Parts: sequence; structure tokens; C-alpha cells
Amino acid sequence: MLGKLFQTSKNKEMKKSILGIIISLLMLQFVTSCKKYLDMEHFFKDRQNIDTVFARRDYTEQWLADVYTHLRGPNSDVGNKNDVLSNFLSDDMFFGDRIKDGRFSNSEYKNFKNGDYNEANWQESWASCYQGIRKASIFIDNVDKNRQMTPDEIIDRKAQARFLRAYYYWLLIRKYGPVPLVPEHGLDYTESYSDLSLPRNTHDECVDFITSELALAAKDLPASLRDSRNLVRPTRGAALAARAKVYLYAASPLYNGNADMADLVDDKGRQLIAQQYNEEKWARAAAAAKEVIDMGIYKLYTYPYHAESQGPDYPPTIVPPFNAKYSNANYPNGWKDIDPMESYRALFNGNVPFLGNPEIIFSRVTEIGSQLTTDLPMHQAPYSLNGWNTYGLTQKQVDAYAMNDGSDVPLNPRVSGFTANNTSHLPLPANVSLQYANREPRFYASVAYSGSIWYRTSINLISEREKQIFYYRGLADGKQPASPEFYIRTGIGIKKYVNTLDAAFRSTPEGGYNVPKTEPAIRYAEILLIYAEAMNELSSAYNVPAYDGNGSISVSRNVSEMSKAISQIRIRGGIPDHEPAIYASREALRKSIKREWQIEFLAENHRYFDLRRWKDAPVEEATPVMGCNMDMTANQRDLFHTPVIIASLPTIFVKKMYLWPIPHEELRRNVRLTQNPGWTNPY
Amino acid sequence: MRKLLIIIFLSFWISNLLAQDVIVTGIVTDPTNAPMPAVSITIKDQAGLGTSSNAEGKYQIKTDAYSILVFSFVGYKTQEIKVGQKSLVNVTMQPADSSIMDQVVITATGIKKKITNTGAITTVNIGDIRVPGANITNALAGNVAGIIAMQTSGEPGFNNSQFWIRGMSTFGANQGALIMVDGFERPFNEINIEDIESFSVLKDASATALYGSKGANGVILITTKNGKAGRIAIDGRVQVGYVTRTRTPEYVDGYEYAKLVNEALTTRNREPLYSPNELEIIRNNLDPDLYPNVDWMNLMLRPYTNNVNASLNFKGGGSTARYFVSTAYYNEGGMYESDASLKEYKTNANRERWNYRTNFDFDITKTTLLRLGVAGFLEKKNSPGLGHFIWESLVGTNPTATPVLYSNGLVPAYGTGAQTNPWVLSTQTGYKEFWQNNINTNVNLEQRLDFITKGLRAVARVAFDADSRNEIFRQKWPEQFNVEKRRDRNGNLVFVRKSTESLMFQTSAASGTRILELNGELVYNRNFSGHNVDALVRYFRRESRSSVNVGTDIANGIPNRNLSFSGHTGYAFRNKYLAAFDFGYTGSENFRVGKQFGFFPAVSGGWVISEENWFRKIAWLDLLKVRYSHGWVGNDNLGRRFAYLSTIATSGSTFNFGDLVNPNTFAALGYTQVASDELTWETGVKKDLGLEINILKNMFTFYMDLFEETRDDIFIQRNFLPAIVGVTSAPFANVGKTLNRGFDGNFSFRKRLGQVDFTVRGNITYYKNEIVERDEQYNYYPYRSQEGFRIDQRRGLIAEGLFKDYEEIRNSPRQTYGSYMPGDIKYRDVNGDGIINDDDIVPIGASNRPALIYGLGTSASWKGIDFNIHFQGAGRSAYFIDGPSVYPFTAGSWGNILTEAGNPANRWISSAISGDPATENPDAKYPRLSYGGNANNYRPSTYWLRDGQYLRLKTLELGYSFPKLQLQKLHLSVARIYAVGQNLFVWDKLKIWDPELANGNGMAYPPARTVTVGLNITL
Repeated sequence: MLGKLFQTSKNKEMKKSILGIIISLLMLQFVTSCKKYLDMEHFFKDRQNIDTVFARRDYTEQWLADVYTHLRGPNSDVGNKNDVLSNFLSDDMFFGDRIKDGRFSNSEYKNFKNGDYNEANWQESWASCYQGIRKASIFIDNVDKNRQMTPDEIIDRKAQARFLRAYYYWLLIRKYGPVPLVPEHGLDYTESYSDLSLPRNTHDECVDFITSELALAAKDLPASLRDSRNLVRPTRGAALAARAKVYLYAASPLYNGNADMADLVDDKGRQLIAQQYNEEKWARAAAAAKEVIDMGIYKLYTYPYHAESQGPDYPPTIVPPFNAKYSNANYPNGWKDIDPMESYRALFNGNVPFLGNPEIIFSRVTEIGSQLTTDLPMHQAPYSLNGWNTYGLTQKQVDAYAMNDGSDVPLNPRVSGFTANNTSHLPLPANVSLQYANREPRFYASVAYSGSIWYRTSINLISEREKQIFYYRGLADGKQPASPEFYIRTGIGIKKYVNTLDAAFRSTPEGGYNVPKTEPAIRYAEILLIYAEAMNELSSAYNVPAYDGNGSISVSRNVSEMSKAISQIRIRGGIPDHEPAIYASREALRKSIKREWQIEFLAENHRYFDLRRWKDAPVEEATPVMGCNMDMTANQRDLFHTPVIIASLPTIFVKKMYLWPIPHEELRRNVRLTQNPGWTNPY
Repeated sequence: MRKLLIIIFLSFWISNLLAQDVIVTGIVTDPTNAPMPAVSITIKDQAGLGTSSNAEGKYQIKTDAYSILVFSFVGYKTQEIKVGQKSLVNVTMQPADSSIMDQVVITATGIKKKITNTGAITTVNIGDIRVPGANITNALAGNVAGIIAMQTSGEPGFNNSQFWIRGMSTFGANQGALIMVDGFERPFNEINIEDIESFSVLKDASATALYGSKGANGVILITTKNGKAGRIAIDGRVQVGYVTRTRTPEYVDGYEYAKLVNEALTTRNREPLYSPNELEIIRNNLDPDLYPNVDWMNLMLRPYTNNVNASLNFKGGGSTARYFVSTAYYNEGGMYESDASLKEYKTNANRERWNYRTNFDFDITKTTLLRLGVAGFLEKKNSPGLGHFIWESLVGTNPTATPVLYSNGLVPAYGTGAQTNPWVLSTQTGYKEFWQNNINTNVNLEQRLDFITKGLRAVARVAFDADSRNEIFRQKWPEQFNVEKRRDRNGNLVFVRKSTESLMFQTSAASGTRILELNGELVYNRNFSGHNVDALVRYFRRESRSSVNVGTDIANGIPNRNLSFSGHTGYAFRNKYLAAFDFGYTGSENFRVGKQFGFFPAVSGGWVISEENWFRKIAWLDLLKVRYSHGWVGNDNLGRRFAYLSTIATSGSTFNFGDLVNPNTFAALGYTQVASDELTWETGVKKDLGLEINILKNMFTFYMDLFEETRDDIFIQRNFLPAIVGVTSAPFANVGKTLNRGFDGNFSFRKRLGQVDFTVRGNITYYKNEIVERDEQYNYYPYRSQEGFRIDQRRGLIAEGLFKDYEEIRNSPRQTYGSYMPGDIKYRDVNGDGIINDDDIVPIGASNRPALIYGLGTSASWKGIDFNIHFQGAGRSAYFIDGPSVYPFTAGSWGNILTEAGNPANRWISSAISGDPATENPDAKYPRLSYGGNANNYRPSTYWLRDGQYLRLKTLELGYSFPKLQLQKLHLSVARIYAVGQNLFVWDKLKIWDPELANGNGMAYPPARTVTVGLNITL
């Protein structure tokens, strides 16, 4: 080849043809490749993008699933302390656990209860809520593109996203007070940091936005309950119920004409919490609750009366003491046909699924997953049953439960003595303090008193399926050297959420498992109490426009309406309704309703926020925690049951503890944001 | 073998010899009429023929009539003489005068006359550079004006210097220069230095504009050697180096260590760890199991190692084909002691490299040149199994930590990982092998197009490069124990097992890249009676693709592609008034369509004042030239590909809409990366003002450049979005901005004093950068921001010495970093709020990379003896020292104690211990000792800030070239023996380890101190 080139090298034609080849090669390169050479987008064509997500049904559902995921973790309402810390920081419950090290050790508990927590603690929910809000907004803006869903499905999905967005705002304002409302289509993250800084809106603005969005969602959501494959999706009832709850908080003393919060301001000095009391806010809450009641599809769950045992889960009904009004009437006028203890207990221990339960309005169902099904019972279960012996109740909570005739428990003096056998004071077994005798059925469904029976009926070894647990010093579940940190600090444990089958704790005996439980995020009993509480505060009549703009709801302080609501809860719990004298007094009824909240909604993440919205926390949360004297052995059981102050469970309340601090990191990044009263700024 | 055959074949083919008619003889003399031996005489356009003059300057050569004889000799002008019919040709050789007109620079458009060049370019005379080891990057600092370099490790295979042209101009992902070898983007770390013909550094925008979006950080241009017509020349070089370390940290022995432990404890009112009895046991080594005293440094590190470097190259050719063929071998040993009983494999660090290169030039026609180059290397590196922990282990394992082996044969260890027994770590944990195989092939076709218009030519180039890397890691470790400090009742040791035995297991990794590059250009260069015009247009495209282990991300498998059109036009009027315009219109696949292309123009001009008629009177001034350039550059390597695209993917979490019995579970789908589709490259605006002076027949040359660069749109992740935005991933943006200013300059002085040739050379590079804008959160105190300070500015508290007494503590602001007492560090309350906390952290010192690099050297030759000395220095850098040896006992018993801290004169000692109030020295170098950490003392502050400046004796060389006359008898043309010392001495302020490492804790392999002897022979 080279030789040939040489021979013709003097040939000008050849020269030109070499040149021609070079030039045409270059030109070819030029023309064919310039545009295409750098175009790489075809590599990404088959990847997921926002248009394909919303064009297809499955991807759209997946996106929506992602919006829902923010309901979990730090935003859940029932579960382990890792997620639902606030459940354990009020005056009803606590956690013991390890004395030191670890995010949720007893020393951490003390930090929180001493007000020594800081702006960095337990802040995951702030970002999680706003992420959920953004994801929901993208969904709302794009779901109309879908080509595979029917128009009705699109409307329903969009309303679900709208519900979730409002719900995330609600979770934010419940914890932090008023927060910044971001633009409806989301913030443009390519903007400068200063343009991405937003001040806090007023609490009323937040409430207006949340409630109007929930009303909007309610219009498009189905009124009827959903099928078993779509239980978690909110219904119209869920949106209206959440709306009632938001209104109730907004009407409460913390946010309604609260001069103590005059110093909660935005960057321009605007006060964020209303300084003028407005009674109409109560009317809105009452009306919103009434709209749920008037839907007529919810009622309280009841389990029928049965004389014979149906296994450990369903012992024979313990009939409350005879009451002329209630003993012979069927529910809801009386308790003749129901088992009050089981009616309440089965709501939480997994025996009643969500589907077919008329009381649950909104629930994360199984999505709380192991938190509710496993972790929570594991921390409640006694150490000798391979639990952590960590969560417990205060003496105050135990004393809040009424006697089985509806009267208050005698405190001065307390009842002394112990049961001699396991039949004299049903359901108490032998050797249990008589302080726990003859209490209202909800007590027995909730409290793990010293000497109560723990069942683990799912395990194979029959002899281990049932065990009476005492918390005396020296016993496996009391204070003792082998596990010095894992004892229930007050000697009063929690039975709520524990199923008699549950056995999967620190280790799982052969055959053991835990029954999956349904999370009660909003249940009908709450709507009834919201209705009664809000109505009780009214001094005149109000006409409140209906959520859908059709007509209005008139509300005023109506005793029979309030009694109808409250009695449903009390009779289901096996105790009589209040005397007329209580209904006659706003203050007396308010006190009773607060106590009803405390008892009925134990361990459902209510008490911490209720005490704050009522502004009762300065008193209630500053009172020393009392409990059994854990230094007493079985031989000193009288002394064990003489309440003492529990030093490892300190209490204090200062103003800053009303609202959770805003993270410093966020204050640095959003320079227009302002801190909650009492908390520090980064500078 | 095949290559050799080709060479032989080519030589035959080229010399299809013509009839030889004439025998020409003659005498070659120098201007003083003295006969010149060893002058090379060849016949033009005929390879393989040639002779040289003998001792009397006489020669004899057989040739045909009308051929041309070429007389050449180093340092003299080459002369071509037509033979005609003559048979006697006497020649007087003229010394080559380095006229300013003859000086050239290598630019992006090719070789150019230096006088007409308008860009800032440093051309390095490769012969002046002495490369320690085999890595040219280690010779850049102090040798090449405009380059800031530092060597942060001396470990064989990992001892490349990092370098930056004109310092750091950006805090973005890509700060490194573009390296072009023979016109293609290629790495040059592993290049055989003997192959390099020219080495240029393009610094300003006009010099790099042709490279568009790749040239922002400067360009290094390397060309490799080509064959020259003439007799075959064989050049061989062998050198052997004796390698030691520049400086290794020195630690106290076991006895001193134990005493210091006691001091650290008692001075804080704690019980001493060692009783006087135990101290004596350690001192006399009475119980090596419980109270060992091991010199780990001595045990793990060899006092010296060797390197071997051999290279051989051939070049030559005839008029139609020329060749350059080279091969080289390099072997560099590590410092790690190995276990002599291990015969099967070696654990010491080691690097072996084989290089080869063949460059062929063919004149296909009289106007067509075909160039073919194939080059490559094969490298093999070895390192001990847990070798990456060796320096950490050396710094951490104190002499009393464990014995080497317990007396019963069990293997002791302090812990696991880096805390493995150091001897085990370096000899008993297997080994790692690494191979790299790299082949570069390129073809150039160059066609002169004078028949279209004079001075026009076209060039087409294609390159294909392949690189593959493989790694096999064979790892193991023995069962290891620790002992309780007390023996049991029977006097036996109580063992605690630290790790179980692991038999040898293996992991491996591989990677590979393929690069295909095409470019074509049209070049025009012509002189019209004083008007010199040159122009160039270039089309270029490059594809680089990783083909091994690209993972699952689609982006990793997509080739990197660049496409560019670029051009240059230059004009010079009578070499006096100069102007040039350069541009690059370059595209990158990394941005969205519409954002892919950028236009990067540069204008430059020069005025050669010395060419003005009115100036010519000043005879001693050969050159006085000013030049200025202004242009735009870009950087498309953002450290992340396709950031303009979003990624939507399932996050791994799921959500169940149903209940347990009827689950209806969906994977959660959302943005895993949000998009910023306006993303584009980083751009820079560069300005450069240069001055060039040559005086007294180029005896003294000098140039200096002032530069300023503003870098904008630096690609960065926005990490400080408020959470209310709700994005789950931080977006990217072009938001950073920096300013970099500085100067670089160079001078040389050459003089022949009698028979001594004498040269002094010096160069300097200085820069200072400043962050104008970058992604950061709001800072109430301006000094806590990065804006307004250097890139990588060091920050810490300001130490005001040590507290004298409690009185002073009471009267000083409260320090919030744990408890403190007299002898602990006192800090300044910068913001005056009465509390010392993080808000008092201020910028202190500079960055850990030097902002000033300079070099000064001199060489002299007398007869055959040559001598060369070169100093290199760096300044304007600072770093914190820290870690378990700098902070005594900060990690309890993990950490050696520097002899510097062990010296009582250097630390604060309580008078209760020393019995002398004078030892409570508030200005001492080390604070009151503490055991187990001290949060107040041991944190970044001016107290621990060290000035990184140093000056080192980089090269000291002595050589002897044998006289030509003797060589000729051996048919040699050059024979030189030499000895070079590298890194022989360093002056600095750090003193504890090598300052160039810029290392805070001493856990780094020090640079090598080498003495090399070598022999270079040319046939």
C-alpha cells in the first residue's frame, strides 16, 4: 500500500484525491454528528419521569403511597417512644428503661420532663411534614394528566392528597403552633435562599387554610367506608373529623385570646396567636363535630354481653352494679346487652379489625406496623415474660378511673387489704390490692396493676401461657439486681394494646406471635367529646355554615345533646352518665369532660396536647408523679401500695414547654422564621 | 518482537541504496580553527549512512554526486553542504547562537516563535528537570513557573504530586489542569520522562481558549520525541537509587512514655498508672509480656530501600521514514519491613512499571506526512494487606501497648483494624496486587496544501486509548489477644481474645476505560513581507467510556463526550505589533440540549518594544515585550453527571392502603434527586499581563506575568434549603464565585566564564484566592462565613497561650469546651460576649495548600564535569496538627508521644511535679498533659496551627561526561556518569514530619530522600 503511494506520489491527481478523502471525511464527521453526538437524552427516555408517573395508574398510586408514608414514623400517634414521644411526656404515662445512654433512656426522659431538652431534640417531624406537603402538592398539580384512571378515581385521589397535605399542616401546628404556609404549588427550590425564607403565618390563618382544605377534600371523598384494600385512604368522615379536631384546638384557651402568648410573633412583630377571645371558634368546632355525627354512619363499638367464658380474650361479662336506669336497657340507653370491658378493650388489642368497626374514622391501620403490634407491647410487657418493663402509668391516671358505680375512688384513706382468692373481686386474681377492686371496666382494660394476669396464649407451652405478675422488690419484675433498670418505676403497667395472645417480645417462645393492631387515629368517641366540649363553652346560639356551603348548622349549649354524646361513651364503659347538676354547671361539666378525655383516650397521644391547649399543663404536669413504693418487698405489700413520689420521674412545667422549639438549623436557613417563646435563637 | 521486525524491515526498505560514486573527505574545525572531533556527518534523505570526524577532525564518507552532507554537533549550527562533484569538503562549524528569533514556544496551535506569541506560556526545558523517582509531577514544584504542587505521600505508586496551574481558582469539583499528550487528552503521571520532547504550560485564556470548556484550569502540553533523519542513535540510561525518608516522626520509648502517662494522670489529680517498680521493669525490660517496650518504627520500617530505572531508546531514519522507539523499566521499593519467612509473596509496598513507545513518521508524498504512535505501560503495584493502616498504626501503637509476640507465641494486638498489632499489620495480613495496563495509539495525517495557497496545511488525527486496572486483595490475619494487666494466681497471663483468625480470602476489583478522539484542523501560516498571518480552525470530538463495573446507574454507562469547533487567528507586523484572537465553541453531553454549547473567546495582543527602530539603539537589550490577554474559559467537569435531570425512583419504603388480611401495598415513588435544568458549566474570565525581557545576547532572560481570574457559576449542591421547601434531596446549582489573583515569573542567567558554563535559574508562583460567593447558610458573624476568605481557609479559635493560674482563669471569659485549669489553653473572646464557644472560631492562617512556590537553582559545567543544585520552597500555607500523637494521650493509651512533647522544655509542667515554678511556662509548645482527651485543649486553634512554609534542597547533582575523543574509539557519542541527591535537606518550622505532606497527624508515608547514581550512554 505504502509502496503504491510512493509510485504515484508525483501524481498531482493522487495528491488531490488524498486531500479529497481527508476533507470529505472531515465534512462527514461535521454533518452527521454535531447534533446527535452530544444528545444523550435517549438514554434516559425509558427512565421514570414526572409525566410517565402521572400518566399511568400504578405509578400514580405509588406516588400517592409516597405521600402517605409521612404519616408514619415521627408523625404517628400511637407507638413506641421512638416515634411517639409525646405520649409519654404528660402526666398519665412515662417510660423507665435504661438509666443512661441511648436516645430514649430514662435520663433522656428526665431531660424532657425537666425542660432540659433543646432545639435539636426530636425534630424529625418538621421536615417530614413539609416533605409530605410538597409531595402532595405535586400530586394535586399533576394527577389530572392520568390516562388510565377514571375521572372519579382522579377526583378521589386528588382529594386524598389534599387531605394529607392538610393533615401534615395539622400535625405541624399541633406540635409547633403556627407555622409558615408554603405556596400552594410548592416553593421553587432554584430561587435564592432569601426568596425561600418565609415567615410564620398566624395560627388563625393556618387553621383557616387547613379547615378549608379539609372541607374541600370532604366534598370529593366518598362518604361511605372503604373496602378492606383501601382502608387507610381517608373518607369524607375522616376529613370532617380532622376538621372538627383542628377547630377544637383553635377554640381552646392556648390559641383563643391567649395573652400569655402575646410574645409569639413573626419577623415583623405581628402577633401569631389571637389576643381576642372569640367564642364563635367553639361554635365552629361543635358544628364541625355535628356534621360528622349527622353523617349517621359511625357509632361506638360494642361487644355483646356473654355469661360464659369465651376464652381468655373474652371472660364472662362482668356486669356493672345495678343501676335502675341503665341495667335493664340496651345500648346506647343502657349496658344490658353489652360487655363494657370488652367493648373498650377489643378496640385496641387487635381483636376488632378496622373493617367492620363502626367507631374508627381514620386510621393508619397496619402501617404503624411493628411499632404498634410489636414494639409497644414489648415495652409494656413484664421483664420475666421477656418484655422491657418500660412503660407505665402514674398514680394520678389510676386514680382518675371511677369506681364501677361511677363514683370517685376513695383516696383519703385509700382502700386497704388484698384479695384472698380469684373470685371475690372479679376480675382481680388473688393477692391483689383492694385499691384495684370494683373499678370501672375501662380500668381493667387499661391498667396492669401489680398482681394482674398476663396471658401469652399463642405459645405452645401451656404452663407458660398465663402468669400473675407482681412488681414487688426482689421479684423478677420489680426492682431487683439482675435487671436493675428494667422495672416499671411506679409499679403500675399498661395493658391497653396488649392482646392475650401476644408473646413476641424480646424473644419469642415457640409458637408465639403478636396480634396486629389497628391504630385509632380518629375514632367516633373523639367526635362525641369534641361536640360536648365545644358546645359546653357556648353562651349563645350560632349558625355555622356547613362544610359544603349547603345550609348551616345551628349550635348552642344544649344539655340533652351533650348528654347524648357523653352518655354513649360512659355507658359503653359501663358507668352511668353524669348527674344533671354537672350538666347544669359549665365548669363542672368542663372538668368532667377533661377527665373523660383522660380516661377514654389514654395512650392515644391526646393528653400531652390536651393539657397544653387547655393551659392546664402548668398545674397538671408540674404535680409530682406518684406511684407504688417500689422499694417494698412482697412482705411489705401494704407499704408498696402506699403511694410515694417517684424520684426518677421528675416533673416541671415552664412556659416554653407549651410549644415545641423550632430547630436552630431551620432558623438559620429560613431567616424570616421566628422562634417559639422561651426557646433560644441560633444567635 | 514484531516491532523489532518492523524496524528492521523499514530500515532495509528505506535504504534501498543508490549507487555510491564519490568518496568525500575533509576536516571539520571550530571557529578558532581547532579540529573538531565527533561531529556527525550524514547524507540528507538517506538513513543509515553517516560517519563522524575523528580526533583530528578528519572524516571520510562515500556518497553519490550531488547529494547533500549534513554536519551537526550539539551546541553548533547544523550545516548542509551540497557535494556536487567535489571530493574535499572542509567545514567550519559555527556555535549556535540563541537568537531571540530562534526561540520557540509550544502552543495549542503548534510550535510558534516565542517573539510573536501573545499568550502566557511556560515552556520547560525538559533537560533542566531532574525527576525524583519516575514521576514527573514531583519535579514540577519550583521548576515550572505557574505551577503550585505538593507531594502528600511518598508511598510507591501513590507518590504523585497534586498540582494546580496558578493555584486554586475554584472550590468546584474539578481543579486540575487539562493534560494533552501529543495532541490528545491523556494522563502523564506514568509517562517515561525520557520520551518527552517538550513540556509547556498554558496559563492564560488566550493560550487555552481552543480547549473551551475544558481549559479553565490551565493546560499542560506534552509532545513526545520523534525520529530524526540520520544515523541510528541509541540512547541508554541506567540508574540506581538509594532511598531513605525525608523525615519520620520520632517518638519516645516505653520508659519515657510510661513516665509521661503518670504525669498526665497525676497533673489532673488522678492516680498514676505505673508504680516506680513498674517503671523500672519497663526500663530494664524485665517483663516483656506485661510491660513491653517495643520500637515499632524500627520494627516496621526499613532504614532504606532502592529504586532502579533503566531506559533504552533508538531513533533515526531516512528522508521518507523516521522512527523513535523507546522502552523503560522502573522499580521502586517500599519501606515496609517484611517477614523473611514468607517466600511465596511479598508484603512490602512496591511498584514496577514497564513503558514503551514507538513513534513513526512517514513521508507518503513530499507534502504528506503520516505519523503513527503507539505507547503504553504496564504497571504493577504491591502493598501489604492492611497496608492502608500502617501509618495510623505507627502513630497509634505506643511502645508499651503490646509486645511483638507473647512469650508463649500468641499474637498480641491492641484492638482490631488500625489497632491490629503493627508487625502483624505489615507482614501477616496478606497483600494487595494492582495492575494497570494502558495503551495509547494515535495516527496523524498531515497534508501540506501549498498548491491551494502557500502556507496552508490540513491535519487529521485519530487516537484510541485503552486503559484497564485490576486489583486483587488477598487478606488474612491471625488470632490476636490482649492480656489483663495482672497475672492470675499461678503467675500466668490472662488472655483476652481481640480477634479470631481469618484464613486468606480474596476480593477483587476492576475498571476500564476506552477513549476515542478525533480531530482535524486546517492551518495557515504565511509571511507577506513583514506581515505574518497565522490561522487555524479545528474540529474536535472525544468520547471516553467506562466499560467495566459501571454499576446500575444508567448515567455511569453513558460515554463522556465533547465536541468542539475552535479557531485561532494571529497577526504580527514585523514581529513588532502582535494580535491574536482565539475561540473555542465547545459542547458537552453533560447539559441539556440548548445548554450544551458555550462560546469561549479570547483576545490578546503584544508589543515588542525592542523591535521599534527608535529602540534598537539600546544594543544590550535583545527583547522587551509586553503582552496582554483577556478571555473566557470554561469547565464542564462538575463532579456529577447529568445533574440537570431529575431522578424518580422508589425509595425502598412501601405503603399499604389495605389491612393485613387484604394488603394493597405500593412501593413509595418520588424524587430521589430533583432537577435544576438550567445547570451549565463553570466559567472563568482570565486576564493576564506579561512582560518579557532578554538582555546581553540572551545572557539574562526574564519574564513575569500578573494574572487575575474570576470564576463564576461554580457548580455546587445547595445544602442549606430550609426544610419548608420540602425537597428530599438537595438540588444543584451554578452559584459559586471566586476571585484569584497572583503572579508568576521566571529568570535565567547564563554566562561562560573561561571554560565554565554557568547558569542560574529561578522561578516563582504566587496566588491568592477568595470566595466571592458560595452556598452557605446565614451567618450572624461575618467571619464565620466562607465568603470573603480563601478556598479551604483554616479556621479555629485564637489561642492566647496557657493559663498561668486560677486567678487568670477567674478573670477570663468562660470557655465552654469542658473543664480547664492552669496550663490549659486560653482562648480569645472574639465576639466579646464573655463566652468562648463556636462563635469565636475565626479564619486563621491560610489554607493547607501553599500559595507560594519558588525555585532557585544553579548549574555549572567545566570540561566534562557538570554540577547542578536546585532549591525549592513553598510558603503561605498552614495546617492544624492533631491526632493521637500530637495531642498527647488524647485517646488514652492509643497514640505515641512525639519526642518534641516528651522534652520537658517544650511543655507546661506543674511545679508540683517538676519542683520548679519555671516549668509552668505559659508559652510552652504543649499544654498541661491530660489523659483520655481534653476537649478544651485539643481542638483547632492557633495553638496547633503550623506554618507550612519550607525550603528544601531538592536536587544536588554531579556528573562527568567522558571526553569525545575517548568515546569515539568505543563508537560512543555520549557517556556520562552522574550522582543525584534528591530532597536532601529541608528547612521548615514544623520539624516533626515532612512539611510538604501538609498532614496534621503524621499518618503519612514521607517523601523519599534519594541518592541516585546513573550512567547514560549514547551510541
